[in-house]
Amino acid sequence: MLKKILYGLGAVALLLGLYGFYNRLFIGERDVNYGSYVNWGLWVAMYLFFAGLSSGSYMVATLDYLFEVPLFKGTGKYALWAAMVTLPAGLVSIGMDLGHMERIWKVYLQPNPSSLLAQMVWGYTIFSMVILLSLWLVSQANTPKPIIKGLMVVGFVMAIFVSGGVGALLGVNASRAVWHVGLLPAQFPIFSLATGVALMLTILSFFGSAEDTRRLRQVRVLSIATVVLLLVKTYFLWADLSMSLYSGVPQNVDAINEMLYGQYWWSFWILQIGLGTILPMIVLVLPNMYKQPLWVGITGVLVLVGFGAARANIVFPALAIPELEGLATAFTGPHLGFEYFPSFMEWSVTIGLVGAATLAFLLGLDFLPFLGTQKHTEVTK
Amino acid sequence: MTDSGEVRDVTRRNFLRGLAGAAGAAMAIAALEDLAANPDQALASYEAQIALAAKQAGLSTTTGQLDILERMHQELARAIVKPASDRRWVMVIDLRKCVGCHACTIACVAENKLPPGVVYRPVLEEETGDFPNVKRQFIPRPCMQCDNPPCVPVCPVEATYKNEDGVVVVDYEQCIGCRACLAACPYGARTSDFGYTYIEDTIPKSEGLIVGREAADDYERAANYEYGKAWSREDEGKSPRGNARKCHFCLHRIKVGELPACVTTCIGRATMFGDAKDSDSLVSEMIAQPNVMRLKEEMGTEPRVYYLV
Repeated sequence: MLKKILYGLGAVALLLGLYGFYNRLFIGERDVNYGSYVNWGLWVAMYLFFAGLSSGSYMVATLDYLFEVPLFKGTGKYALWAAMVTLPAGLVSIGMDLGHMERIWKVYLQPNPSSLLAQMVWGYTIFSMVILLSLWLVSQANTPKPIIKGLMVVGFVMAIFVSGGVGALLGVNASRAVWHVGLLPAQFPIFSLATGVALMLTILSFFGSAEDTRRLRQVRVLSIATVVLLLVKTYFLWADLSMSLYSGVPQNVDAINEMLYGQYWWSFWILQIGLGTILPMIVLVLPNMYKQPLWVGITGVLVLVGFGAARANIVFPALAIPELEGLATAFTGPHLGFEYFPSFMEWSVTIGLVGAATLAFLLGLDFLPFLGTQKHTEVTK
Repeated sequence: MTDSGEVRDVTRRNFLRGLAGAAGAAMAIAALEDLAANPDQALASYEAQIALAAKQAGLSTTTGQLDILERMHQELARAIVKPASDRRWVMVIDLRKCVGCHACTIACVAENKLPPGVVYRPVLEEETGDFPNVKRQFIPRPCMQCDNPPCVPVCPVEATYKNEDGVVVVDYEQCIGCRACLAACPYGARTSDFGYTYIEDTIPKSEGLIVGREAADDYERAANYEYGKAWSREDEGKSPRGNARKCHFCLHRIKVGELPACVTTCIGRATMFGDAKDSDSLVSEMIAQPNVMRLKEEMGTEPRVYYLV
């Protein structure tokens, strides 16, 4: 039943997305709300989120294939498949954001090696090939273990490189005081791991094997890991906010105030802190809650929503502060504003990508033979 | 007609002045041709001729000195015959002279045929103090053409770079439109071309009610000549639509001995432009003043736009 509901939701989301994809591909960027000042919007935030989810899922897969943790034996392939379906969602999201997406080949043939963005394009290309190869190797019954382990080491390093790289992509901009902190590239791999763990928690809660006696323990351990990673994230958040506010650098303080009390307050307080951090921490530490897989799975989804909002809360407020006083009113025109809320078209594309990734994951579970070796249960049964 | 004599007199004066201007322009073109063939000899002759033309056209000041616009023209003529590495284009903006008329902004829009949402040189307005001690300050903000530009290293395809003149340029056909350079610029000096046109997107659609609409539409879609190349807006998907765009000190004008559009249209002569490696140039004099400053100098971007305060 749950799977049917998810199939239905995924299909509806994908249908909604078709409008956005059509609009972007055949009409252009006129219907987006990001612009020349808030120059990166929802699609960039979702790129950070999906790409982080993919690298985090790969990290989770290493529990099985590299570190050989007995409790997670047999779960790696689901994590790898999750990495496989979420990475394209991230790359399509960032592709939609390009003014000339047909020129993406130039990043391969005429790259600027010192550009973080070029490094990320190359990094994600290699990473996607590593995921694909990993999936293929683990699906083969007779693949020697050292080969899989070797590849997992490469993939693990790549996962840290690409997730840290997107932190650096923002962090190198000295023009945005709130991004320009050395810890940003260090924080992002941890955020990615947190989303990977939360996704695995959801997957095992919703679709864990019926016959596997370890399932409840797996859910319990992943719940605790999610809570720990949320605490680490909250600590980083506290460090960032307190340092910025204490230093008193105007652009920094303005960006933080924008996030806490400005146009994005609801995203920060309700989505990121309330639904994405405090509520999951309460639910996941409740004794015996791990025996309620449906609620644990939903809590995992809330954690993911919180991290999605967190990515947006890193991107938008920093850009919503004018670089120079008076810039906001000096010249007016379309896309020349410091206020930003994603347009329907932007939401449409994002919802469509969520739907497409969900459908792809479910179809894999149902039709890829190597994912179907264990019988899946449904929490409602 | 008792006034006819006076009218005739004025008309005659204007006619003669116009004639002098036309002669001056013709001489200037001829001089530019000479410059290319024999720079050293032609230069002295060119300066003399242009000074004469300016005098005839009434551009000399009451003190007998040339208007600074003419002086800058002469200096520009000297500079463009030098190798690019021997000159350093800088802009100096005297904030005490800026009256906030926005003529430079509009001239820039017209010169580069900028579409809605794209601006190279907005004029920022800042009001400080409390009544009655209130000050209103106008700060024109072109691209700073930084010597250490943060926008350049972030470009994934080297579409933006400092050219041989030290001006930060955008290769429209190389740019993928990622807007990383927009995020990196500490001055907000880059805007993205989202593909709008004034006629189609800012005027209410009411066919036949606006006189000259079709002609204006044609004009707007006709090519501009940024970077010395024709960039038409006929095709929806073609550059510069979808690109990052920015001020380039009107390189296409400089190349033919004309000052940037914002300089020539500044009614208060607040904007000055020239070669800072020419020690006799106006801009060299200006940036040696004690009251000179640059925006966000602490960021180490080394802007080439100086402000006199």
